[in-house]
Formats: sequence, C-alpha cells, structure tokens
Amino acid sequence: MMSLSLEAILYTGAIGLVVIGALGLVLSHHLFRMLLSLAVAEAGGNLLVVLAGYRGGAIAPILGYGAPGTPMVDPIPQALVLTAIVIGVGVQALAVAVLVRVYRAYGTLDLRDLVEHMQGDIAKAAGIPRSTSTHAPGGERPLPPVPALVRHQPRGGRS
Amino acid sequence: MTPVDSLFLVSGLTLVVALLFGRQRLTASLLVALYGAQFAALVQTGTLFGDPVTASFGVTVLDQPMHWRYDALSWFFAMITIGAGFFCAWYAAGVWQEAHVKRGHSPWLFHVALAANVFAMVVLLGSGDFLSLFLGWELVSWASFLLMALGGRASGRAALRYLTYAFSGAMAILGAMALLYTQAGSLEYAQVGAAIPKLSAGQLWVLLALLGGGFAVKMGLLPFHLWQAPAYAETPGPGSAFLGAISARMGLYAIIVVIVSMVGVARLVDLSIPFTFLSGRDLIAWIAALTVILPTYTALQQHDARYLLAWHGIGQGGYMLLGLVVGNAVGSAGGLLHIFNYALTQAALLMAVFAVVHRTGTADLNKLGGLVARMPLTFLVLLFGIISLAGLPPMAGFVSKWMIYRSLITEGMPLLFVAAIVGTLGTILSVYKLIHNIFLGQLRLEHEKVPEAPLSMLIPMLALSTLIFLAGFMPGPALSWVAEVQRLVGLPQVQYSLGGVVDPRGGLDMIWLVSILLAGFGVGAVVFYGFGGKSQQVHQLNNYAGGHFLTADVRYQYSDNFYAGLMHLIGPWYRGAFRWIEDGVGGVVDLLSYAMNWVYRSVQPLVFLLATTVAMLVWAAV
Amino acid sequence: MSVTWAMNPTLPIVLPLLGAFLLQPIARVSAALARAVGPAILIACLWVLTETWLAQGGRPFAVAIGGFAAPLGIVLYVDRIALLFAAAVPTFALLFWPWAGTGQEATRESALLLLLVSSVTGLALSGDLFNIYVFYELAAVASFGLVAIHATGRAYVATIRYLLQSAFGSLLALVGIAILYTKTGTLNLAHLAQLAPSTLHDPLGLASFALMLIGFGVKGELFPVNTWVPEVYATAPARIAALLAGLVSKLAVLVVVRLLVLVFNQPEAAQLMLVLGAVGMVSGELSAWRAKDFPRMLAFSSIGQLGMVFIAFSLPGTTGVLAGLAVAFHHLVVKSGYFALAARWGGSLESLSGLGRRSKLAGAIYVLFALSLIGVPPLPGFWTKLIVLVALAQHGSLELVAMAAILVVTAIEANYLFRLAVVLYRKDKAAPAGPEARAPGLGVGLVAPLLALVLLAATIAIVPVTEGLRKVAAQTVDVASYVRTVFPPVSLPLAQKD
Repeated sequence: MMSLSLEAILYTGAIGLVVIGALGLVLSHHLFRMLLSLAVAEAGGNLLVVLAGYRGGAIAPILGYGAPGTPMVDPIPQALVLTAIVIGVGVQALAVAVLVRVYRAYGTLDLRDLVEHMQGDIAKAAGIPRSTSTHAPGGERPLPPVPALVRHQPRGGRS
Repeated sequence: MTPVDSLFLVSGLTLVVALLFGRQRLTASLLVALYGAQFAALVQTGTLFGDPVTASFGVTVLDQPMHWRYDALSWFFAMITIGAGFFCAWYAAGVWQEAHVKRGHSPWLFHVALAANVFAMVVLLGSGDFLSLFLGWELVSWASFLLMALGGRASGRAALRYLTYAFSGAMAILGAMALLYTQAGSLEYAQVGAAIPKLSAGQLWVLLALLGGGFAVKMGLLPFHLWQAPAYAETPGPGSAFLGAISARMGLYAIIVVIVSMVGVARLVDLSIPFTFLSGRDLIAWIAALTVILPTYTALQQHDARYLLAWHGIGQGGYMLLGLVVGNAVGSAGGLLHIFNYALTQAALLMAVFAVVHRTGTADLNKLGGLVARMPLTFLVLLFGIISLAGLPPMAGFVSKWMIYRSLITEGMPLLFVAAIVGTLGTILSVYKLIHNIFLGQLRLEHEKVPEAPLSMLIPMLALSTLIFLAGFMPGPALSWVAEVQRLVGLPQVQYSLGGVVDPRGGLDMIWLVSILLAGFGVGAVVFYGFGGKSQQVHQLNNYAGGHFLTADVRYQYSDNFYAGLMHLIGPWYRGAFRWIEDGVGGVVDLLSYAMNWVYRSVQPLVFLLATTVAMLVWAAV
Repeated sequence: MSVTWAMNPTLPIVLPLLGAFLLQPIARVSAALARAVGPAILIACLWVLTETWLAQGGRPFAVAIGGFAAPLGIVLYVDRIALLFAAAVPTFALLFWPWAGTGQEATRESALLLLLVSSVTGLALSGDLFNIYVFYELAAVASFGLVAIHATGRAYVATIRYLLQSAFGSLLALVGIAILYTKTGTLNLAHLAQLAPSTLHDPLGLASFALMLIGFGVKGELFPVNTWVPEVYATAPARIAALLAGLVSKLAVLVVVRLLVLVFNQPEAAQLMLVLGAVGMVSGELSAWRAKDFPRMLAFSSIGQLGMVFIAFSLPGTTGVLAGLAVAFHHLVVKSGYFALAARWGGSLESLSGLGRRSKLAGAIYVLFALSLIGVPPLPGFWTKLIVLVALAQHGSLELVAMAAILVVTAIEANYLFRLAVVLYRKDKAAPAGPEARAPGLGVGLVAPLLALVLLAATIAIVPVTEGLRKVAAQTVDVASYVRTVFPPVSLPLAQKD
C-alpha cells in the first residue's frame, strides 16, 4: 500500500507531465501539437526543479513573511525555474514564428509531408536525382503543388 | 653527417628537382643521373658487409622516438629499389616521355611520382622502430597511389580499389602496433622483440593476423590480391615496370623484419592451429603456395600483355615468401635471391611490352603477331625475360627457383614442392603464350612497317637482359649479398661460390651448367650449319593446308583462346570466389550504410532519443 | 589575486552580448559603423583573452560574479583549457564572419553571430551548472536563428526539427540538473566536485549524468540526438554550418568533459560516453559512405569524428583528455576548412567532376585535409589517432571493441573521401547539374588556404603542440587544484538541507 504523501503525488505529477509531453512529441506529427507537447513537458520539468527545493511544512521564501526561524523552502530552485520558464517561453515563441514561416512556405504543418518537401528541395538544389530505388524506377510520384495539399499519399515506399 | 643522412638527402633532392624542374625536357636525364647518385650514396653507407649505420636525426613525438638506420636488409632492398628507379627513369627519358606528352599526360607528374616512390621506399627501408616503419609504410602507399592514378579513367578506378585495400591493411597494422605497445611498453624494435616471446599463443595469432594481413595486402598474397593486377597494369609505362619490380616487395620487407626476424620461423613452427596437425608456418607456406598457383593460372587467361605480367607478379611474390618461410639456408636464400632476380626480370619484360605498345599502339595479344621480324632486339629481351621468369637455365630465375625447390625437398614438404612445380608449369605455359602471340607466328598487315624500338628504350632493356644473364651465369655476387642479409636477420647462411650454391649433398654450379649449355648449342650449331646439308629457306607465308594454298593477303595467327584444351579442364574451377568475397564485403558495408541513413532520415527521430533515454535510465538503475 | 580590467573574463561574454543587441540601432545610424562593430568586438575579446594568458601564464583563477562568493554565487573559472576554447571562439568567428554582406540581412546575421559568440564563450568560462544551462540555451536560440537566415522553406523545416530536438534535449538536461540539485543541494562545479564522491556514486547520480549527457550532447552531435545534423548542414549556409560543426560542438563537448572530470568521475559514466560515442562514430561514417552531396557528406563525417571525440574523452586520466583535445582541435581546423570549401561546392558530388584540375589549389587543399582526417603520417591527424588508439588498447575489452570500430571506420572514411578525390581529378567534361544547382566556383577564398597553412604548421611543430596540449590536459584533470582555486583554503559552510 503506497503512502500517498503530498511529495509523492507532486513528483508523480511532474514526471507524468514530462512523460505525457514526451509521448506527445513522439506520437504526434502535427508541428503545433508537437510544440504544445513540448510546452507540457517543459512545465513538468520546471515542476520537478521546484520540487527539488520543497521542504515539508515550510513557508514561502520571502523575507519577513513568517516569524524568524520558521523553515523556508529552498529559494534557489525557484530562481532557477524562473529562468527556465522564461527560456522556455522564448523558445516557444521562436518556434511559433518558424511554424508560421513553414506554413507560408509549404502550406502544411504535417511533419511527414514537410520532411518529404525538405528532402526534395535539398535534392533539387544540389542537382541530385531523388529516387534510385528499384521499387520506384520511374521516380517518386511528385507531391501536389502547394498549398492545395491532399494527404492521400501511400505510407509505404518511403526510403 | 652519417652516410645514411647523405642517402636521404640525395633522395630528397631528387624529389625536389622533379617537383621544381619536372616540366623541362632535360630534367629527365638529370633525374637519371640523380638516381645513379642515390645508388652511389647507398654503396657509400657500406652497411652490407659492415655494421648498421644510424641516421643522425630523430624525432620524438608524444614520448615515442622515431629514428632511422640502414642495415644489410635495408641495403639489399634499397639497392633493388634505386636500381629499378634508375632503369625506369632511363627508359622514360627520351622517346617515351614525348609520346606520353602527345597522349595528353603530364610528364612532370610522372617524374614527381617516381621520385616520390623511390624516396618513400628509401625512408621506409631505413626505419628503426615501428613508428617510423608505419610512417614509411604510409608514405610508400600514398606514393604508389599517386603513380597508379596517373593514367586515365580505368587507372583511377583501379587506384581507388588499391587505396581501399592498402588503407585497410594500414589500419590493421596500426591496431597491431597499439596492441604491441600495450604489451611491450615501447615501439622500438628491441623492446618489442623482447616482448614477443612472452606472448601467449592467442595473442600471437591476433598479432600475426593483423600484421600479416596488413603486410599481405601490399604484397598481394591471397586473398588480398585482387587489387594488384589492374592497378599495376593500368599504370603508364615505366611506372608499371617500377611497381611490378619492387613495390609489392615492401610488404615482404616488413614481413621479414617482423615475422621472420622478430617472431622467428621456429616460433611459427611451434604455433599450432588447434584441432589440426598444421602449424603457423604451414599456414603461411600454403597461403604462399596458393598465391603461386591461382594467380598464375589467371594470368594464363589474360589477353592483355600487361595484365598477364601483372598477374605473374602476384604469383612470384608467393615464391619469395615460400622460400623464406621454409627457413633453412638454401630456401631462405632462394626466396631473397628471387626478389632480386624477379625485379630484373619483371622490369625487362614490362619494358619490352611497353616498347611493343609504343610501336604498335596495342597491348592486346589477339591483335599482335610475328613481330620478331621487325623488332628482333626487343624479342631477345623478352626471350631472356621469359626464360628467367619460367625458371629455366641459363637465366637468373633458374637459380633462385632451384634453391626454393631444393629446400622444399630437403625439408620434407613434398606437397608444397608439387604446388611450386604446378606454378612453374603455369608460368611456362603463360609466358610461351606471351612471346608467341607478340613475336612469333605471322606478321600482321598493319605491322609490316613497324620499326625496332627506339634507342632510348632499347638500351636500358638490353642492359637489364645482360644483367639477367650475368646473374644467372655467375650468381655468386648476388648470393654474397643474400648471405649478409641472412646473417642479419638470423637465418642460417647459405654457402656460396662464384657459380652458385655449395652443398655437400649436391650444390649448383651455374658456370659449369651454362658452359655445358653453350657448348651444346655450339655443337648443335656446328652440326646444323656445317654438316647438315643444304637447307632451303621458305617464306613464312608460303603455306599449304588441307589441299588449298593459302594466299598472302590473309594472315593466320593462332592467338585467341590459346590454351583452349587446358581452359576446358580448369576453367570451371575459376568461379571468381575471391571476387565474390570482395563484393560481399562491399555489399555488407552498403547495407549497413543504408540502414544508418534510414535512421538519420526518419520522420520521428525523437523515437530513438526516447528509446535511448529509457534504456540508459534502466541501465543506470541496474 | 586582483584581476585588472584588461583581464576581466566577463568582457568576452558581455561585449558581444551588448554588441548583438545594439547592432540594429547602430545600423540605423550608420551602416559602415555597424559593419565595423562586430569584428571590432571580436578583436577586443581576443585581445582580453591574450592578455589574460600572458599575465597568468597558465595559472588558473576564479572570478565571482557580482561579488557573491561561491558556492551561492556564480563563478567564472579561467584555466588553460577554458582559455584555449574561449580564444578559439572569436578566432573562428572572425574567420567565418560575413564580411561580404550588406543591408538588413547582414546586420541580422552579425547580431546573431555575436550572440552565439557570447553564449559559447560563457560555456567555456562558466563554473556554475545552471549558468552553463542558460548559456547553452542562448547558444541554441542563436543557432536556430542562424540556420534559418537564408529564409528558404527547407531551412525552416530543418530549423523546426532542430528546435524540437534541442528543446527536448534541454528539458532532459534540466531534469538531470533537478536530480543533481536534489541530491547535493548545490550547482557550483567546484562544490559538486567536493560533494560528488559521497552523494553521486549511485544509480540516481548516474541517471542524472545520462540525462545531462543527452541534453548537452545535442549540440555535441552525440548519438542519438544528432539526427538534426545532416538536415541543418545541408540547408544552412556553409559558414554557419562550419561554426556549428567546428566550434559550437566542441564547446558542448567541453561542458560534458567538465562534468565528467569534476563531478561524475566514475567508470560507468565514462563507459556510457564511450558506447554512445562509438555508436555515433560508426553510424556517422557509414552514413557518409552513401552521401550524394558535399555538405551532407561533411555532416555525417562530422558526426563520426565527434563520436571519436567522445570516445577519446571517455578515457580516464591525462591521456584521455589529451587524446580528446587533440582530436577536437584537429577536427575544428579540418572541418572548418572543408565547410569553407563547401561554400562553393554545394552541388551534388557528381557536379564536382574535374574541379581539381581546374582549380589546383582547391584540389590540393581537399586532398591535404582528407589525408589528415584519415590519419596519414606525418600530418597531425595521424598523431591524434595514434594517441587515441594506444590509450584504448591499454584498457578493457569494451575499449578494444571501440578501437577495432575506429580502425574499420577509418578505412571506410578513406574510401569515400578519396572516391571524391578521384572524381575531382577526373578528366572528362560536364557533369549532370540540376536546374537550381549552383556551378561550383573556382576560387577558394581565403579561409580554406589559411586553415591548410595552420595544419601544415601544426605538422612541422607537432612536438611543441602536443606538449602544450599535454599541459592543458594535466591541469584539466587536476580536480583538487580546481576546488582549491574556487575555494581558497577557508572552509565554507555547506548548504544545509533539512
């Protein structure tokens, strides 16, 4: 029978958030959803850091908040987390900006199609013929023009 | 400034002169003179009959000292190297160089490559510890690559194949060096030599596999021989002669230094292969024997004269190793002498073939014939060469081969003796094909006006043939060099005289042999010309076959599919097993590469990240 | 000891940071001034670092930021290895500076480059773990912007994939830091070095190292977080790829090495790094074998070489750090030179046919770098490989497997590098070129020949170079000296947990 201390619940929650975020990142293929999963995971990570400073039955680390001598939670992780949250927000903002640019360039946010587009563009810019597989000797079927994308591509045959 | 310093200096000077002035026409002659100067400097070192001479400079990097010295073994190989460089440069100066320029190549590159090769080999042969050995080894490998890559497209491909083999071999050697350093604490020959007897059998096998494999790649031993024939054959003219003469023997030098000298044939005999009755020495001897047989019969099937000779080069290397590994006085002397004799032979043969190529424009044996009428001196050179290659008296090749056969019998290795004889049979057959298809038979219409080879090519060739005959007539001086090498390496010394080998159970005296042979020819000549009655000279084209007179406008030359009957018998055995192995290795690399590429191109790389993270955390917890 | 203002180690961090943010306003005032500001700042940083080296002569010192003493305050620690890496940053930033750019885009790129320089110098000099994390994130953001600087669709896709992978890796690093803080209560590297033997030698400590290794390994191109590398190097401009592959990756490796040497001095941690490095090396070089264009071939080769750097650094003692430093700096010079060539050789490998004949210098430089990369004596690459192999042979069976892997992989490397060399020196004419392919330029610019000269100089001066590196390595593994420098012998009360 597990003892359900507050600390255990909080730790489980934090690690759970990280796991949910990680799974979301891995299982999703829509860029914005991946970004949101990343945000969730980052929230979990920040929570873990705050928990590192948690002391049972202590008060908030503000000078003059409680009587002198009352135990306070460790303020350093809270300072760290402030920095980490700001970094996280900054990176997410940058990611959204890049997402907008990606959408303007290719008309889709589906990672599978985007990777195809990117590899195709790289190959075209370098002058490399794309498909050398014996399964598709005539080359890959070209993707429809942007932005009228219809996702009926066969999932197999990708090399 | 020790004599070794001056040798290195002159050799480096040759390279610098080739780099700076290689484009001028007269530089070629200057370079020939410089090679002669290198030879003189080598003789100056006097290490053949004296003590080893150390160079005055050395470098210590990362606590590893590198130093260079010349001893009798270095002298022997360096003499052959510089001599080969001298003759090849002589051959290249003059008409060949002009034709080379007309074909659109750069003579500067050729001279630089040749000088770099000689310099690199001189440095390699002077190595005094494993680190300088590796440095020299890499320099030689890359200089050979430069020389090989000079031809057209086909030579580029062959050179790349050589590079892959050579570099893999070099990596094996580097791995062995790292392991040796761990065992011996140093890379000096003395310390490593002291540590080797303390190695266990398993460790010694690993060492032999790595070092032997690395050196075997350069030598062209089975199964690492596939690169050698195309690479040597596609190299232009004198470069091919140089490579064929001496380049592969650098591997043999390294094998002598490490395996024969440091490990010792006795230790090889003690090293038994588990679950068999064979020893390490038997394994090496059989690899050498198979190297003798299989490439020689491959040579039989070639219809390009250069390829034929290049495949022979692989086979003859097997003879040298066979003689060395037998380990007694006569056998090892035969192996070492064969290096010298074969260098002379191969250089002469390739020079003759390239003279024919120069005059007729082709090396294809199915497109030549009857040239003895137009190029008699070249024919003479080729004749001397093939008699030597086949190992028949009175030429040099006979002496060394006789010594190897004899040692195989006296040491009680009859099966290897049979293998060597089978190899010689193949050699005789294929060299006859060579000389017949080029020089004998009927002259083609398009070659009616072909002149003799130009003088600048002819004189070096004739000089080499004279040397071949002299080395066969009086093998004494060469045997004296070989005996000094044996003394240095720790092998029993051969007893020699001016005419050959002295052995109470039956030696060899070439002077008597050649005299009897010439006397026999003399008697035959007297009988033929003196008493034989009038013989009628018939024109070559005056033929009659099957009730039909053949007219002179149609030439008949039996050249295509020359040994049809023999090929019918042994052809099915040549299934390209080694090529299959080579392709297999390439295929495995390709497959692995494809798999790795798939990993890096995957849409969801975070899967791998997550999998690895979880795995690591589980591993950390356990 | 007192630190004169000319030796202040915060200057190389603060000056480029200020410059990055002030560059846009300055550009509005005067374009010429804006073009001069970046290089001026970099030269100033280089001067400060040189002054520090000359004045200190290799003795380490620590500076407490804001007057707050360690372990609560942030400390900048300046020793030989930190100075070496910190000096490499402005040098290579100057080499790959966008001298030829004008207008808005050039200003943006300069600003981002200055940001990158500042953060990466901070990585080298910092002595506090969270400070390192912040600088790492700053460097990441700067590199995201730099990769996307040419505003092509494929660059944006590569950027977002890089961003997601990097952000997730950083998250894992943060979790690792959290675990570390929970167990020790401090984030100062010297204090951690004191506390580590008693608190971190258990599975949880190892887990924290693993997480931080993955997190900081994203920039260090560690397997398995290096899948961003081929895409980014193929879509980013070659200059940026040169900086990322050559410079930034080494700084990320430096962070990991500091952690390994000071805090996680356990054989399991080293083994983990060895295994990941070996797998990365094998996967990278094998993938390079099939690469069809020059930038991606370099990307995979870079992954492979960095795998070898990780293998080298995982070996214990001075030899390990010496081997790692040798490989790292050799790769820095060679890979930067190759990317300098790649700026003009961006097409497929087939389109480079015959280039070596048309531009002899370019061909010669390519061959020189290739020979050094695969380790042909007497070039420096050979000595680096020799140190690594000899050191590996002296340890256990896992290291022997890694040694065999290095040997096999080098043979494959020789094959694909010289396959391209044979193509370069081919004699026949025009090769297939795609509709958008740029024709390979004939000139080589200045950077590649300069780096080739550096390589040749290192070949000739190999003995002093290796001896110098050995001194650096010896100082790096001296944990006691590190702790003594940060905490001069007055004992501090350790942070109390209750």
